[in-house]
Amino acid sequence: MGELSELFAPETVAVVGATEREGSVGRAIMDNLVADFDGTVVPVNPNYDEVLGIECVSDVGAADADLAVVVVPPKIAVEAVRQAGESGVRNVVVITAGFGETGSEGAARERELREVAQQYDLNLVGPNSLGIMSTGVDMNATFGPDNARPGGMSFMSQSGAFITAVLDWANDQDIGFRDVVSLGNKAVLDEADFVREWGDDPETDVVIGYLEGIEEGREFIDSAREVTQDTPIVLVKSGRTDAGAQAASSHTGTIAGSDEAYETGLEQAGVIRAESVQELFDAAQMLGSQPLPERDDVAIITNAGGPGVMATDAVGDSGLSMASFSDATLDAFSEKLPAEGNIYNPVDVVGDASNERFRNALEIALEDENVGCAVVLSAPTAVLDYAQLARDTVELSEAYDKPVAACFMGGERVEPAAEVLKDAGIPNYFDPARAVDSLDALSEYADISTREYDAPTAFDVDREAAHDILSAVKGRGDNRLGVEAMDLLDAYGIPTPEGDIVDAPTDAEDVAARIDGDVVMKIVSPDILHKSDIGGVKVGVSEADVYDAYEDLITRARNYQPDAEIIGVQVQEMVDLDSGVETIVGMNRDPQFGPLLLFGLGGIFVEILEDTTFRVAPVAESEAKAMTEEIDSAPLLRGARGRDPADVPAVVETIQRLSQLVTDFPAILELDINPLVATPDGVQAVDVRLTVDPDQL
Amino acid sequence: MNTLLVTSTHESTGKTAVTLALGLLANERGQSVGYMKPKGTRLQSNVGKTLDQDPMLARELFDTDAEMHQMEPIVYSPTFVEGAIRGREQTDELREQVQSNFDDLATGKDLMLVEGGGTLSTGGIVGLTDPQVADLLDAQVVLVADYTQPGDIDEVLAAAEDIGDRLAGVLFNRVADTNYDELETDVVPFLERRGVPVLGVLPRVQELAGITVEGLASELGAEVVTDAPTDAFVERFLVGAMGGDEALRYFRRTKDAAVITGGDRSEIHTAALEAPGVKCLILTGGHRPPGAIVGKAEQKGIPVLLVNSDTLTAIERAEDLVRGGRTRDERTVELMRELLFDHTDVDALIGADEGASSTGDNEE
Repeated sequence: MGELSELFAPETVAVVGATEREGSVGRAIMDNLVADFDGTVVPVNPNYDEVLGIECVSDVGAADADLAVVVVPPKIAVEAVRQAGESGVRNVVVITAGFGETGSEGAARERELREVAQQYDLNLVGPNSLGIMSTGVDMNATFGPDNARPGGMSFMSQSGAFITAVLDWANDQDIGFRDVVSLGNKAVLDEADFVREWGDDPETDVVIGYLEGIEEGREFIDSAREVTQDTPIVLVKSGRTDAGAQAASSHTGTIAGSDEAYETGLEQAGVIRAESVQELFDAAQMLGSQPLPERDDVAIITNAGGPGVMATDAVGDSGLSMASFSDATLDAFSEKLPAEGNIYNPVDVVGDASNERFRNALEIALEDENVGCAVVLSAPTAVLDYAQLARDTVELSEAYDKPVAACFMGGERVEPAAEVLKDAGIPNYFDPARAVDSLDALSEYADISTREYDAPTAFDVDREAAHDILSAVKGRGDNRLGVEAMDLLDAYGIPTPEGDIVDAPTDAEDVAARIDGDVVMKIVSPDILHKSDIGGVKVGVSEADVYDAYEDLITRARNYQPDAEIIGVQVQEMVDLDSGVETIVGMNRDPQFGPLLLFGLGGIFVEILEDTTFRVAPVAESEAKAMTEEIDSAPLLRGARGRDPADVPAVVETIQRLSQLVTDFPAILELDINPLVATPDGVQAVDVRLTVDPDQL
Repeated sequence: MNTLLVTSTHESTGKTAVTLALGLLANERGQSVGYMKPKGTRLQSNVGKTLDQDPMLARELFDTDAEMHQMEPIVYSPTFVEGAIRGREQTDELREQVQSNFDDLATGKDLMLVEGGGTLSTGGIVGLTDPQVADLLDAQVVLVADYTQPGDIDEVLAAAEDIGDRLAGVLFNRVADTNYDELETDVVPFLERRGVPVLGVLPRVQELAGITVEGLASELGAEVVTDAPTDAFVERFLVGAMGGDEALRYFRRTKDAAVITGGDRSEIHTAALEAPGVKCLILTGGHRPPGAIVGKAEQKGIPVLLVNSDTLTAIERAEDLVRGGRTRDERTVELMRELLFDHTDVDALIGADEGASSTGDNEE
């Protein structure tokens, strides 16, 4: 059991601010607790002797509780929590609103609350929470109207209202829960804490959640990775679109973060992301009740040709594939199905199919070891007993231990069959696509549960030198650094072309003399963004021309942008772009997930093709390697059309080294190496730009 | 008596702060100081009499009872200029008026400080450019100049030529760190070889370049809706009109900025609160932001200001405030006093010997 087990299974709950006043939150919570709770409920309120016939104590210390639910007004809520902490209560749920979500005064109050929680080492839910439920002890410590039914899903939500809506619906659908938490403002406990707790809870089969933001993205990833080895997590996150992000910001003050970061972070965490509430519950129900498929090949057995095609399309859109049957299976189908049926996938048992024919077909399919799961898809006919088909489906699914999704189409006729299926934990859907998607979630989780995570490689780097280079930003008018920070890459072992930045033409000649062959010269100025537009870049300058080229670059910069601060001129070894592939390696620090690494096709193609892939740093070698394989242009790196393949291991290493750099320095807010030229002989970082937060150095 | 006229190559180079700080330094040395700004250029309206803040501040600092109209006889407004061009103003009369006001103000003073108007050439229409005023009042001239690159020296030389023998020297103000060495090692010796004395090179200090959030709030007439500290300095303004993700990148790249955006753009607000260089949020349209935003701002210690105007108007006014580089308060003058003390030969400039009766009470 985890650290929060007492929070969800207290013996005595104190309700601080309990009252009999109709319509009050204090009354609602008392009613809910008194109705079902297995343990003892102690009302705390100095103004009453008893509440709902239960003796009332004047302060929380006298309640001898292991959970305190605080519903007093905001002005005295922090004090109530302090008293709870002082008297040895370790678990507190603060229902009271009027904290950070309300503005200035509330924010100060929330800070104070956090300090008190820290002082007494409290497991604190909220504030501004609907409360918590745990069906293990029949506890409903919320002010919502319904208690949850017992089940295996543990559910957290950043919206209390969503919980009340879901419970009402779930009760109607016979969907049960283990624990339910309304996260509120997440002043202390957040999603990572509950994910960990439920990962340790043997009674939780699936963790589900509705989130508007994630507090500590990396911590969440690490916690979730561990949990998802045994317990699936399905989340729906709102604020995906610009309009949604704006709404989420005004609801909870959560910064949107990029959807890329969220998508990437959840993928790395092994969390299944649902796009809608329906998907969330479809996936969760399936994950809670069905065995995991050993392979992602699906067989569709149907008596309805049209819906069969729809289901096949849905498979095409999903991560699943249509199973190819073995010869033995095809033989068996030929024997058992009429000539007008289809023995290939989707298997059409034809509209006049009896229960027996349907059952035989499903059994033949499940018997095939090429089949990982199945969809039983049917339309009502006069010769088919739906309830019997349901019983057959349940029996065969259990016998072969393969997941089956049911899509018994229809309305009233379906109800008895749906009951049979539901009792066996097989959801029935009207829409074939939903049936396929729920199987897809199962298959996705089957992959996640067998994942292995490697530790990131720690390279030998010069951290001190990097720190000094980054510190240059302190003297700047903005937070940007450019090629003058090239040495930063060298300090982290990322190869750069030979060269230097100089502020005198004779120095430029000295640098050029050290370099074999012609050089590239570029103006270095934080104020000139598009160097080539003002003729600030000269390619293929011979040693004899370096002096004049220097003067010309400075003059151009002065002429075109008189106010620009000019650091000097970069003199750099020529990099042969023709023999290499221009890639980009970069990082943008996401407010929620932290450093989001990017790899893609670089140079001028970045913005046009957007052929990029992302990972939250730090990444292990396997993840960096996967990045180089994921982009659409990956064949270019492998040597398309007779070209020599690029040194992909060097690219992979560069991604890992950058990952280490941005992990070591939270001050780096964004960084782009563009291009990173990958040739058959290695890589070279030709240009770099970064934004640095000087306060974090 | 010593008379110093402070002029500049450009507007808003810090003339007022320099003039008043010189006055403070002279005061410390026991001198009695008078102040005059013959041409009022900081106008509130195009017509009518204005309340230029510079003489008002001078009156407070030097504790004189001189009348405003005495210290600022000419309101150099567009209306005045139009009138002068149509021949409604008599140059001789104006010169006489300046002279006689000056004589009145100078009575019993050890040092008279005359602040120029706008730039060196302002006032030519009525024969009262700063060099002409200097001739009229027999003043030594301090030329305040900016420096960002060697080409700026052309203007300094032209101004020196214009001022002639009355030039006490050039004072380079708010010179950025990156230009400081170049100026001291190359440019100053160059000017001195050309016979242009350099009085000092004052480094750029943030407190003089920007405006505090508090100052901004009061100048914009904004309501401060947070309890977060308002003493941070703002030097630039960013308009938030893009998506949240893009906004974050944009905001992160700058320093000492205020973000101006609509009160309803909460995704911009949260992005701005995430960026280290953003010191303040200015929300337009007069609508309060959601409570969650105010709470977040409070948590991050970033003040939120509400203004009733639209975003465009707000940014124009805010930009004016920073670009105008106004000497708004005694603190600004005090900072300039310290800079002058550290980087110039104050005694040579204000003529310490003149205040002979005093022993000087310079505590530093």
